[in-house]
Amino acid sequence: MSNERAFIVGLVALLAVWPLLMGDYAVSQGNRVLMYSLLALSFSILAGRLGWFSLCQTTFAGISGYVIAILGVNHGWPAGAVIPVAIVVAVAFAAVFGLLTLRSRAVSFLMLTLALGQMVWALSFQWVDVTGGYNGISGVRLPVVLGIDLGNDRVFFAVLAAVAVLIFLGVRRLYQSSFGLLLLGIQDNEERMRALGHPVYLARFTAFVLAGAIAAVAGVFMVFDMGIMSPSPLGLDHAVWVLTAAVVGGYRTLWGPALGVVILVVLESVVSQFTDRHTMVIGLVLLLCILLMPRGLAEVFGQNRSRSAKSETASS
Amino acid sequence: MSATRHILVGGISALALAAAPVQAQETVHIGVVGPTSGVFSFFGEQQNMGVELAMDEVGDSVAGHDIKVTFYDSQGDPETVVDRLRAMDSRDDVDIVVGPVLGSTGLAALEWAKDSGMPTIISYSAPEDITMRQRAENVVRAGWTGAQPMFAFGRYVAEELGHERIVMVGQDYSFPYNQIGGFLETFCRSGGESVERIWHPTGTSDYSSILATLPEGDAVLYNGAGSDALSFFEQYHEFGIDERMPLIGGSNFYAVGDLPEMGEAALGGVSALQYAEGLQTENFIEFRDAFRAMHGDDAMPLAPAEHGYVAFLMAVQAVEKAGSTERDPVIAALRDTEMPDAPRGPLYLDEYGNPVQNIYINEVQEVDGRLVNVPIETYEEVSQFGPFDPEEYLASEPDSRDFPPGDCSDPYYDD
Repeated sequence: MSNERAFIVGLVALLAVWPLLMGDYAVSQGNRVLMYSLLALSFSILAGRLGWFSLCQTTFAGISGYVIAILGVNHGWPAGAVIPVAIVVAVAFAAVFGLLTLRSRAVSFLMLTLALGQMVWALSFQWVDVTGGYNGISGVRLPVVLGIDLGNDRVFFAVLAAVAVLIFLGVRRLYQSSFGLLLLGIQDNEERMRALGHPVYLARFTAFVLAGAIAAVAGVFMVFDMGIMSPSPLGLDHAVWVLTAAVVGGYRTLWGPALGVVILVVLESVVSQFTDRHTMVIGLVLLLCILLMPRGLAEVFGQNRSRSAKSETASS
Repeated sequence: MSATRHILVGGISALALAAAPVQAQETVHIGVVGPTSGVFSFFGEQQNMGVELAMDEVGDSVAGHDIKVTFYDSQGDPETVVDRLRAMDSRDDVDIVVGPVLGSTGLAALEWAKDSGMPTIISYSAPEDITMRQRAENVVRAGWTGAQPMFAFGRYVAEELGHERIVMVGQDYSFPYNQIGGFLETFCRSGGESVERIWHPTGTSDYSSILATLPEGDAVLYNGAGSDALSFFEQYHEFGIDERMPLIGGSNFYAVGDLPEMGEAALGGVSALQYAEGLQTENFIEFRDAFRAMHGDDAMPLAPAEHGYVAFLMAVQAVEKAGSTERDPVIAALRDTEMPDAPRGPLYLDEYGNPVQNIYINEVQEVDGRLVNVPIETYEEVSQFGPFDPEEYLASEPDSRDFPPGDCSDPYYDD
């Protein structure tokens, strides 16, 4: 436990000095890592605790992004008003999707989230009057508040890092709470949890909406980072990217998804400097990662630290 | 031992001194971005091949600056484009950006360029707002807008082909909206009666329901490209509709890459573009032959290759004129671009930063056993606003699914 404390302190220290010491590009890469870490975390709450693989977490991010672009740019609402509205709308979508997927199991859940995500993507593409269609809506900017330009990359990083750390710590508490254990219990044996009198559906629904809310927060940052909202972040490739990051890093752990995102972002920006065939190189690395460490990197580290009986039983 | 080392060190420093004037020379770093992986890699590779040809012709330096070029892969994704652009600006010290190629990546690049102030030459990306409603001082274009070639085409179809009622089938997104928008603006004012628009989602492979209920008209205009266009073309002929209504195309319909698959049925197909691989001008033949000499006899330079070529030359010319890589003079020089000898024909930028250029009405013909688009009519000096006044054009609604109106008797066309 104290190991993890030290890790958290180190991480916060790293995030604090990053925008002070690093160049512009490293800071913008840091922003990408943080935003996608939130998305990968949102994915792994469902995948790691419930065994539910969702392909629509990026959709919730996209919905909050679209709300900000539509209300902020097309209707001129101030950022202070659109951000909470965007999160509320995305959470409402998550609630509806949560109800629709509540009774589904592993593969049918995956297919349902795929279908729902693709529907929203198609809607964003074809509802041209509202979403701007393929071209999207551009000119999404953060305001200057009290003389601080929130759109400045370093200021943006500081805000994003603070929000991300708070969310990760919140989820950490959740994983340790009885609610978190209940989710794990449902994944192991849903019938037994129900027999014990636990509100299984309510717990699953709550987890789904919570994951949606985290994705919605990531979406707020993503749209302001890009300055433009178009259908492409809602596309399947982005959803698969998030899934890949979470699996490589280890979706059963808290920090694994973020680790996976770091690895993917670093691989992409380093390898693409040297070769046009970077997707092949990255694919090969991922293949090896998943073959050699099917439970993800974070769990490999974890197991080295404590080869506890717990992991033995979990793998049997 | 130490003596040889002294000699070595001395020699090296002498060499370094001798090389000093060269080393002290400044560099102009040009970053080229386009999709070289993913579904649209063909377009990015074309652009890069055009840039490589231009690099070869320009040589190593311009105005006392060594030319350094780096290619970046956009993967056809707006977010990746912005990431690569950020890398160019803050990591790699790029001075001028050439690209990107696709529509959505062009708009994302524009949004980024507004903040960064980087001199940017959009190559093939065609959304009109890049050089219209959202234009930025530091962003110019080497290519086109979707409506631009269609201004000429609408007039040609009404006046020369004499068609009055057009049935349009097209891919349901902004580029085709813009294409048919440009078409309508001139078609309706040159004697056309109506254009009925039928939209289908991109990625449609079965057109039987559309073809079975196709309204009657004088001609059918397919407003799209790629595999959708190929499927439509095939099924159109299978249904035998070509016997009663000729098939004309949006700018990318009779793309030379698709012509071998379309086969002889494509002969006589008409479309319009600011480019034609069957051009017979001296400048073009020189460009085409050099392109083939460099990239192999099977390679055919298409519009994205020529636009990449021109965009790179624009960058080099701007540095030459500005005499430095400082942003303001480079941007001013870019906006003044004039290229009377571009392969596609003479061009210069309008005050909004988009080329004013020839539009060719192309017909598919067989030349030396190959199907190519041969220009049969040229409309000179067509701007992105067509025959219209820029301010009036900008004040009007942007093109959409059902705007401008498809009925030419609509009061919208009374002016």
